[in-house]
Amino acid sequence: MPLSARGRQVADGLRGVTSGVSAGVLGCEVVRHDELCVGCGRCVAACPTGAMRQDDWFDPAQLFSAPVESGRGALAVALRRIARHEPSGPFRVPERILTFRGILFSADLCAGCGACVRACPTGAVEACSVPVADVDGASRTPVPAGACA
Amino acid sequence: MNAPATATPEARVPELGASDVPVSEVIADAADGERAIVAFLCRECAYSAADAAGNARTPLPPTIRTIMVPCTGRVSPLHLLAALADGADGVYVAGCLEGQCHHRVGNFHALDRVAFVRRLLESVGVEPERASMFTMSAADTPRFVATARGMDATIARLPRLPRS
Repeated sequence: MPLSARGRQVADGLRGVTSGVSAGVLGCEVVRHDELCVGCGRCVAACPTGAMRQDDWFDPAQLFSAPVESGRGALAVALRRIARHEPSGPFRVPERILTFRGILFSADLCAGCGACVRACPTGAVEACSVPVADVDGASRTPVPAGACA
Repeated sequence: MNAPATATPEARVPELGASDVPVSEVIADAADGERAIVAFLCRECAYSAADAAGNARTPLPPTIRTIMVPCTGRVSPLHLLAALADGADGVYVAGCLEGQCHHRVGNFHALDRVAFVRRLLESVGVEPERASMFTMSAADTPRFVATARGMDATIARLPRLPRS
């Protein structure tokens, strides 16, 4: 059966990416920026391997590092005005509070597919390309940074 | 002394609908040194109870300022914290009895948000009693009056809130 136009496009794309790169190094390294995270959990829903997990705990110190114009930033501004001291350690979040949970990322489970990067609405998850040693030992970058996102 | 908004049915009660009412507007009339407590009342239950208390001319603590909300699920942690930061000494949310929310789970959401705010306050050294949640039925005027007076007594015992 001949390939459709879209099929040819996909096949060509695959050839372009895979040529000269061994399997297992296609993925990107996922880097999280906690101060930009709004805790929506979309990365958790998108993650196919369970590397992203929503925690039961929330660290209030995270509010103070959030950008001022964000919802968390607004909360931090209000909290800072009445605070008696710097926030103490993390506390357990009540059941129905979904947006104020820490996001746990386990790098050893991450396949580097970049689904979380595409799902993130605030750019708090970033994909960086991993330099790998080529067959001849020279270090090079298999995928340009962000290409798989 | 300003009468609480609930004492006069014709008084305009600020409403938290599609857009946000600045909470500072509600507590702007509190004189220096006078304490103010902002109450977020559910339109279906607690507000009816408050209205009945007002119609019966039941004396309520002058510290109570009411804001009507379509459902207690509308109240976010930011509303509660902003009220405290803008000059309120206490905030509370009053909604329907558990399992009787007109929007099914709004009061459970509010319950958890208040719990979250209490933990947040605790973590920065502020008394968690400043934020509370009560549930009552629309006909339970005595409970509304009791919770308002109870909250007033609780806040009166606490030291003033440091505000920068």
